[in-house]
Amino acid sequence: MAGWFWWLLFCFACWGPYALLSKLGSNEISAGGMQVLFTLGSIPVVLFVLARRGFKLEKNRKGILYGLTAGVFSAAGSLGFFAAFRSGGNASVITTATGMYPVVTVLLALVFLRERLTWVQVVGLGFATVAFFIFSH
Amino acid sequence: MHIAPWCWIVGIVLVLWGFTAVFQKLTTNFISAESTLVWRTVGFLLFMPFVYPGKELYHHSAHSVAYGFLAGLLCALGCLGLFAAMKAGGKASIVGPLSALYPIIVVILSPFVLHESITALQGLGVLCGLIAVVLLSI
Repeated sequence: MAGWFWWLLFCFACWGPYALLSKLGSNEISAGGMQVLFTLGSIPVVLFVLARRGFKLEKNRKGILYGLTAGVFSAAGSLGFFAAFRSGGNASVITTATGMYPVVTVLLALVFLRERLTWVQVVGLGFATVAFFIFSH
Repeated sequence: MHIAPWCWIVGIVLVLWGFTAVFQKLTTNFISAESTLVWRTVGFLLFMPFVYPGKELYHHSAHSVAYGFLAGLLCALGCLGLFAAMKAGGKASIVGPLSALYPIIVVILSPFVLHESITALQGLGVLCGLIAVVLLSI
């Protein structure tokens, strides 16, 4: 088994419980509270990364600006993720539905970056449309 | 047609995370994946004051607080795992789409951990959603 495959399983072992714990926490704590705790939880990992790099990061301004913007958008999205759980939706359905964000990324690339859709992506959008239709009922 | 309230929220999440993916891609054009994780977390911290619920946060049970904290820890660890998979020789075009299949773990564990079940129709929706996310990530 290739080394990367074990790391992929490690991802699954982290992200699956992450979604389950998000649902369990959201049953009691507001979306804002969950977002605060979620942020605090990610700090030990960031400190580990920083320590491993000797507390040195690249100083590219554009990279930093885009990274910060990604963080703000990601945090706002996570807030919605916790709010969706808190509204009583099924964890499996909400996790799958929110995991379909590449639909938006592909459409944004189409509009703003003038990228062309491949036929595989067109088929993917078709499956996503069916999934959304089912979930919305 | 009645649409469940969470569907509207999910729509907003999709748009926000869709933009996130674009900004993350732009970020990694200039800095490493690990630095991206660090600056993304700084972005989280910038957002935190707007959602901080005040003293209410201190009145929750310890296990609920632990759930929120561990969710953040595991999410960030999963990101590190993804970077490690790519460093270990996994192609982004393969590892990325495969990692998007993590909701399968939620579907498998939900009945045991959350005592939730899904209908056959919802199961079909989950299957279509997983196929969609893999095809769109290729």
